[in-house]
Amino acid sequence: MADTTASKVAAPARDASGSAADRKKTLLLSRARELALLPALLVLVLVGALTNESFFTSGNIISILGASAALAMVVLAESLVLITGKFDLSLESIVGIAPAMGALLVLPALSSGFGTEMPAFVGILVILVVGALVGAFNGALVVKLKLNAFIVTLAMLIVLRGLLVGATEGKTLFGMPDAFFALATSTFIGIPLSVWIAALCFGIAGFVLKYHRVGRALYAIGGNPAAAKAAGIRVDRVMLGVFVTAGVLASLGGLIQTGYVGAINANQGQNMIFTVMAAAVIGGISLDGGKGTMFGALTGVLLLGVVQNLLTLAQVPSFWIQAIYGGIILIALMIARVTTGRAQD
Amino acid sequence: MAGSMSRAAKRAVNRPAGTATRAVRVAALAACAALALSACGSTKDAGKAGAAGGEGKVGVILPLLTSPFWQSYNDYVPKMAKEEKVDALKTVNSNSDPAQQITDINNQLNQGVKGLVVAPLDSAAIAAGLDQAERKGVPVVAVDVAPEKGKVAMIVRANNVAYGQKACEFLGSKVKTGKVVQIMGDLASVNGRERSEAFRTCAKDKFPGLKVLEIPAKWESDAAASKLDTLLNQNPDIKGIYMQAGGVYLAPTLQTLKSKNLLKPVGDAGHIAIVSNDGIPQEFDAIRKGEIDATVSQPADTYAKYGMYYIKKAMAGETFKEGPTDHNSTIVKHPSGLLEDQLPAPLVTKENVDDKALWGNNVK
Repeated sequence: MADTTASKVAAPARDASGSAADRKKTLLLSRARELALLPALLVLVLVGALTNESFFTSGNIISILGASAALAMVVLAESLVLITGKFDLSLESIVGIAPAMGALLVLPALSSGFGTEMPAFVGILVILVVGALVGAFNGALVVKLKLNAFIVTLAMLIVLRGLLVGATEGKTLFGMPDAFFALATSTFIGIPLSVWIAALCFGIAGFVLKYHRVGRALYAIGGNPAAAKAAGIRVDRVMLGVFVTAGVLASLGGLIQTGYVGAINANQGQNMIFTVMAAAVIGGISLDGGKGTMFGALTGVLLLGVVQNLLTLAQVPSFWIQAIYGGIILIALMIARVTTGRAQD
Repeated sequence: MAGSMSRAAKRAVNRPAGTATRAVRVAALAACAALALSACGSTKDAGKAGAAGGEGKVGVILPLLTSPFWQSYNDYVPKMAKEEKVDALKTVNSNSDPAQQITDINNQLNQGVKGLVVAPLDSAAIAAGLDQAERKGVPVVAVDVAPEKGKVAMIVRANNVAYGQKACEFLGSKVKTGKVVQIMGDLASVNGRERSEAFRTCAKDKFPGLKVLEIPAKWESDAAASKLDTLLNQNPDIKGIYMQAGGVYLAPTLQTLKSKNLLKPVGDAGHIAIVSNDGIPQEFDAIRKGEIDATVSQPADTYAKYGMYYIKKAMAGETFKEGPTDHNSTIVKHPSGLLEDQLPAPLVTKENVDDKALWGNNVK
């Protein structure tokens, strides 16, 4: 300690160069965190391409992307919340209830809707509004009432799931107007719109997190909320905003899922949060907050998508598929650890 | 850590909002929109792979593997495929996730299967998968669940409404008046809903003396045990039980009754009449021991057999008609125009529990 003070006083020039080196090192480390999964992903793609001729066809790649789009949206939402150092488990229920609310308003009473038969665009708008409202409610409970985010959103997960089963009486909703399915069924240069939207959202989020002050505020809050507050960040407001954004993104994910499946099951999104957490965390988002990038989270999503696809193509016996799936995730984590040489937290 | 974060925070605060970046974003969006107009398409554009010529691989997709029923179906698939001379791939398990099931169908189609035998998790949430198959000209046979939308060559199924009715009629013949309880499946599933509704309606219409209590247990054994326990405390005079899935509810129900000293063999004064649903070997044992009265046998073997039978014919381009079949069942037409071969689902009681034709007696 005394030594550093002494050197600081004696040689300010050396200190400056030292901190620059430090910064370079942290930059390198964060890069490594961001790219950690790429080697594992490449290995898997290579294995896939070598072992199965149907893997590397454009049809198959597009179907991996299409299957991952909804998950990607929810992972994006969860990553934003995780970076601020909070949790939102209820996102998986938003994936179900948000599109269901939209559908119920649009569907005639005969198809178990509310019978209001509103136009399709209102329904779609309602989907996003429901996502935002749930997010705002979660945010208010966490930020204003200062409740523990993990437990509160767990309770909300159950409440929302129950509301969905109650509102639909457990029935599956189908026969919605085509607009509800458009995201998954319409394509642009052969790739579903849902994939483009997910890519765009990841792009914007990555950009904002890296260069915009709001994005930097998220890292600051996740790293140390007290310090962030002292630095003049309106922590409560930003956090509330993050919950609302996450809710909207998850509801968009729900809409994509609806288009992908072609109906809304009362279980839509159930247990999805585990996959979401897995994708985010293996993609380098820290559960303690303040760390991780959007690119990393995206590689996490793609890794899971590729593994699922490969296991099906490889004709793995159904009884063992989950064990092997989990095992491959573990190995991917190890490859990431070995190739980047950094300790995980 | 805290130090570096607060530095980032300061940087964040000092940084002005980037108007330039906003402009870039708007421009990018506009460019996308312009491009989109010229290159829009739909997944429906995917070209047909040409009709199958009767030969080729068949993909078999299972809804879940955590119930004894689907486990035996899974065991029967390769055997029946061999019998019917169908080249079936290894089964794929959708693990109770309807979205996963769509992905599974896509994966199988990408692999170039010429036919699919799918047991849908949900009657509606399978539509997108069926559409994909239809676009590629691949015929599909649906097992156990009738799709509400989409095209299938045949539905192989035992009627779930009939399950509920059979159970109700049997229970009604044993218990004339008093309380009966149905331990229901997941109300978010078609099968759970149909069994519940059928049992409820039948009891109301045919046996007005019965008062039906309900336990929503979501196909979960622990939920069944704890809720039945509570209900028995409140209503010690329950006279009959309908379990909608013996695979998950049999053990917890017997256990709960045992712990309350209410498990009396058939014929005893205090015996609670129990009807189960599934037809697994454990239920047969319980029937032999007199612990339960009956079960509706859901035919795992014929599901697999006729799944293979119909997919082979559909791949060869055959079409089917309504009416009785050569295997003791009837093909009925749904309002949607889809055909369903309604396989018999026998009620198993003490009298016929040793029948060798029951699949539950043929499990290794």
